[in-house]
Amino acid sequence: MSDSLLITAMTVGYLVIVLLVGLRARRGQGSSLEGYVAGGRHMGLLVLFFILGAEIFSAFAFLGAPGWAYSKGAPAFYIIAYLTLAVIVWWLIAPHISRLGRRHGFLTQAEFLSACYPTPKNVLGLVIGVVSVLAMIPYLTIQIAGAGMLFEAATSGTIPFWLGSLLACGVVAAYVYASGLQGIGWTNLMQGLMMVVIAWALGLTTAEQFFGGVGEMFQQIKDQAPEYLTMPGATGMGWGAFSTAVLVSALGCVMWPHIFMKFYSAKDVRTLKRVFVLYPLYSYLLVPLLIIGFAGIVLLADTPLDSPDRVLLTIVVELADLPAWVIGLALSGALAAAMSTAANLAHTSATILVRDVVQFTPRMRALPEHKALSLTRYGVIAISLMAYLLALANPGSLVSLLLGAYGIIVQLLPMLLGALFWRRASQTAAFIGLSVGAVITLLLQFGIDAPFGWHPGFCGLVVNSAIFVVISLMRKSSESRSPVECLSPQV
Amino acid sequence: MNHQKGMPSKGLLIYFVLCTLAMVWPGALIANRIDPMVLGMPFFMFWYVAWVFALFVGLLIAYRKDTGEEADHE
Repeated sequence: MSDSLLITAMTVGYLVIVLLVGLRARRGQGSSLEGYVAGGRHMGLLVLFFILGAEIFSAFAFLGAPGWAYSKGAPAFYIIAYLTLAVIVWWLIAPHISRLGRRHGFLTQAEFLSACYPTPKNVLGLVIGVVSVLAMIPYLTIQIAGAGMLFEAATSGTIPFWLGSLLACGVVAAYVYASGLQGIGWTNLMQGLMMVVIAWALGLTTAEQFFGGVGEMFQQIKDQAPEYLTMPGATGMGWGAFSTAVLVSALGCVMWPHIFMKFYSAKDVRTLKRVFVLYPLYSYLLVPLLIIGFAGIVLLADTPLDSPDRVLLTIVVELADLPAWVIGLALSGALAAAMSTAANLAHTSATILVRDVVQFTPRMRALPEHKALSLTRYGVIAISLMAYLLALANPGSLVSLLLGAYGIIVQLLPMLLGALFWRRASQTAAFIGLSVGAVITLLLQFGIDAPFGWHPGFCGLVVNSAIFVVISLMRKSSESRSPVECLSPQV
Repeated sequence: MNHQKGMPSKGLLIYFVLCTLAMVWPGALIANRIDPMVLGMPFFMFWYVAWVFALFVGLLIAYRKDTGEEADHE
């Protein structure tokens, strides 16, 4: 059997196993919407840990992160920093979200915020829903495109881009459609484990094969290109840009709807906290992947890559003398990273699309539960299909849409914190802060340069929070409870 | 204990701030060098790897304390 055929066979085998595991998870599951969307709110430690790990580590972990290490060097540690610090934010607010979600029956992020800040006809919920979907579809498209690219590169074109991305997308859509969060849980458990094992195996093998060890590798980089090993790195990323990117990404991580909504699914607060205790260790997954990126600095010194994101593929598939089955495994690991994230994105955005956008009108709100459930399932198929078509069309504005829409979502954080912890939090102040913060973020993202090279979202957050606090304090308030405490005991 | 139920203690909050400052400006400035290499990694990389572990340990202690208190109340 030729090498590319063996690699193809292994990858297809992996896809079949994921599909079977995902479909099997359907067994014993009732047909409630809560079961489909939030796993009946009884997800345990092991599954929840791997869901959070696998959904956060996307195609970016295997492609973008090594690309950063290869092209910039030390600034790549920003990824480790923000993924670790994100846990702090989770620790502080996720238990509240989980508890309140159970008490009031929330399933989406928009429902939570619009219950705390009621607007006429629930306009806030609709806006959050639309913007969330606009952020998540491009993100999903990037995962699917990443899967297609991985297939094409690793099978040397036996499976072309269109087919590879179709296979990955189809498998994900099938088990998410059938099994909901349960399906995601068991497949993410499997894929999360695969990612860790494969990442470490590849990282250590690369260092061993080309340099005789990790220490020797960094010694060589120190001799040949020491500027990569400390800040500001090879391309000169300033401390301001680095620090604000870490902070805004760590703060914003909690606001991604697919992460936020997982807090609803935890069995209890104790389980959630256990997941967070262990979570920092999962970010060690990045260490071997960054090592591969660093290896590229020396290995590709004479023939630099046009696209740094291909550094892992180039080293593993072309440079390293690895048997075909190892490449097949490597491809499966990287695919696991892309697909596990894709599944969560398709699942969450379909839920939001149906619950916050389609069911916005009172007539649709009154839809019986089983109809809403089938609508959500069809939503998974529709969104996956849309993301696949976008991946084929590859419009250049995709990343801009992602950055813009997600930039707005992050601006919801101050009002969320206000709702949870602050008695004086005023609704008017929250909306003014949100609007100004969103405008500033978009302006700095696409219009003018941010001051001091700071992250646009960080600038938006600072202004947003300042406005929120100042206007809230200016308003006379006799309220002795925070917005969350004002929620009625039952909805 | 004098802190509200479900709210983190002051000590934990200070620890969180410490972990954050260590990974961004200005805390990370003191680690911005290559030598000494630790576990084969340049010092700046090791610094991040070490703080990940430090946060894990901090959260573990906080969790043990939390659940210990809950058990006391029961």
